[in-house]
Amino acid sequence: MKRLLSNDWLTLAFRMAFGAIFIYAALDKIQHPDQFARIIYNYHMVPGPLVNIMALVLPVSEFLAGICVVAGVLYRGARNYLLLMLVVFMVAITVNIIRGIDLECGCFTVSTRAKSAGLQLLIRDVVFAVPGLALLASRSRRWMIENAWLRS
Amino acid sequence: MLKNWIGQLIIILAVSTVAALGINAARGGGVALIGDWPSRTSGGEGPVTPPSAQEGDPPFITLEDAVTKYQSSDVVFVDSRSPEDYALGHVTRAINIPFEYLDQSWDTVIDSLNRQLAYVVYCSGGECETSLYLGRHLQELGFEYIFVFYGGWSEWVDSRLPVTRPDAPEEGGGQ
Repeated sequence: MKRLLSNDWLTLAFRMAFGAIFIYAALDKIQHPDQFARIIYNYHMVPGPLVNIMALVLPVSEFLAGICVVAGVLYRGARNYLLLMLVVFMVAITVNIIRGIDLECGCFTVSTRAKSAGLQLLIRDVVFAVPGLALLASRSRRWMIENAWLRS
Repeated sequence: MLKNWIGQLIIILAVSTVAALGINAARGGGVALIGDWPSRTSGGEGPVTPPSAQEGDPPFITLEDAVTKYQSSDVVFVDSRSPEDYALGHVTRAINIPFEYLDQSWDTVIDSLNRQLAYVVYCSGGECETSLYLGRHLQELGFEYIFVFYGGWSEWVDSRLPVTRPDAPEEGGGQ
C-alpha cells in the first residue's frame, strides 16, 4: 500500500488535489473576510477580539499552504498545517453538532436540518482529508521546487 | 529551519500574517483587526442587538423589559423557531410562528392575531435572526406593537423564567 501511495504520479495528483481544495476554499474567504468572521463567531469557540484577525489570517495561510503543497515548497510544513486545520475543523463541527448549535446562525437548535447540515460539513472534511493522509504516507518527493535548494 | 516542518510552518504563518494585514490595509474599508462582536447576553447595557439591525426595525428589548411585558395580559410572546424546537420547550404561553417555514398557510394564523395587542418576538438567542425577520414581517403587515427580544430563548432559560416543556409542562417563574 505504502509503495502504491509513494508512486510519483499518484503523489503529484494528490498534491494537486489537496492543494487545489484549499486554494479554492480560501479565495472566497479572502474576498469576504466580514462574512468569514461571522462564520467563526457562530462556532462559539473563538473569543470575540480574535474573530476578525483569524478571519483575515486563516484564509491567506490556507491559500499560501495550498500553493506550497502544489509547488512543493516548504512542503511538509504546508501539508501538515492543512491536515491539522482539517482536524481542527472536524473537531469544531463535531463539538457544535453535540452542543446543538446551528452553524448557519450560531444559534441553539434541535432541528434535524441543522444537524444534517453539520454532518454534511463533517463528511466533506473527511473526504478532503483523504488526499492529505495519502500524502502523509507517501515517500515520493519528486517534482518539488524545494528539491533544488534542499539538495544544495 | 527549512528542513524542519515546524520551522516551515512558522515561515508560512509569518508570511500569511504579513500578507493578510497588507491585503486588509490595501482594501478600502477593510475589516477592523479587533472585532466588535456583540455579547450573547444583555448585561445591563441595553438590549442585545443583531449585527444586521437597521433603522426602522422593531425596537429591541432587554430581558428585564421582556419580563415586564410578559406580566401584561396585552402582550403575546411569539416564538419564531422551528416547530421542532418549539415543541421541546418554549416561553410559557408563547405561540409559534416559525419564520423559516413561513408560507401562505401561515397567512390565516397571522390574520387571526389581534392587532391591538403587543407582540414580543424571540428565537434561540446567539446569532439567530429569525425573531428580527419575523418582527419586520409583522411590522410590514401593519402590526404596530412589535418588539424583538434578541436575547431570546437562551437568556430566558438561563434566568429560570417560566417555560413549558413536554416533560414538565410548566416550570420556572422565580427570578
